[in-house]
Amino acid sequence: MKIKIFLFFLILLWTAGIFIQFFIPGVNELFYALPFVERTYATVCHQQPEKLITVNGFHTLVCARCTGIYLGAFISSFAVLFLKIKNNLNLKYLLIAAVPLAGDVLLYSLGVYPYSKTVAAVTGFLLGSVGFLYIHEGIMNLLKQTNKRN
Amino acid sequence: MKKNLPALVAGFAAGVLQVVPVIKSFSCLIILPLAGIFALSLYQKSNKIFTPIDTKTAVITGLMTGLFAALFGTFFEIIITLITKTNDLVYVVNDLYAFIESFPVDETVKSQVIALTEDVVNSIKTTGFSFLYSMSVLVNNLIINPVFAMIGALIGLKFINSKIRNN
Repeated sequence: MKIKIFLFFLILLWTAGIFIQFFIPGVNELFYALPFVERTYATVCHQQPEKLITVNGFHTLVCARCTGIYLGAFISSFAVLFLKIKNNLNLKYLLIAAVPLAGDVLLYSLGVYPYSKTVAAVTGFLLGSVGFLYIHEGIMNLLKQTNKRN
Repeated sequence: MKKNLPALVAGFAAGVLQVVPVIKSFSCLIILPLAGIFALSLYQKSNKIFTPIDTKTAVITGLMTGLFAALFGTFFEIIITLITKTNDLVYVVNDLYAFIESFPVDETVKSQVIALTEDVVNSIKTTGFSFLYSMSVLVNNLIINPVFAMIGALIGLKFINSKIRNN
């Protein structure tokens, strides 16, 4: 349980970092960290301005799709605190969850429809929430194997 | 050393891709997890493993891949900045100042952040090196890269083990 709570807080911290600009008016000191935090998220996202979620002039530090992925992982990390997830998940669920995201990337890249932040965020959310379960399973297996050896 | 060779190869590749302008913006979220998967696949092939790989091996391979990617990526970024005396920060610095000016925070905080940024940008423009910038890149990469490469290795493990079981 301890590791699940640790994972939850780790993802909470990472997800909160995406929205740091929204917290700055309340906590001015966070502004000092902004350039560093922006650079951190630049490692994992292109941060194209037109793809960021903007509210009242404040924007997320990652694009709508990445925001969806991390929010999905965050919700799943909260859910696994209370729900028992079966071990040895079939890979087909991960592939199924990746299809809408891959489809969206392909279709808007081909110009079939324009980029939509909502679609990007929703498809990202789906993959993030399912993808986290596989990471969670891997970490739980690692703990089991380590405990067995000890 | 042979044990860490797949991680070194994949980490080097990821480190290079992280500094290639077009590729780094196209495959941001993909490079490191793919490097983790690639390293694990190399590990399985180079050691001729035909039984399922354990999670610990996958995690260590992913972590090592991320660590190598962080070191190579930072090294290349510092070297390129040193030679060209410019980088992403210098390109966007005017937009950054405009953004800072427009942000609803204390004037004191704004002026301190602008002064700090100016200091870093001036160092890069004159000498091609800023200790603060280099350290922030290194710390960033050392934290982020191993985590994402490990995630890739964990997901890659499922694919590789499933393939091994099917064979």
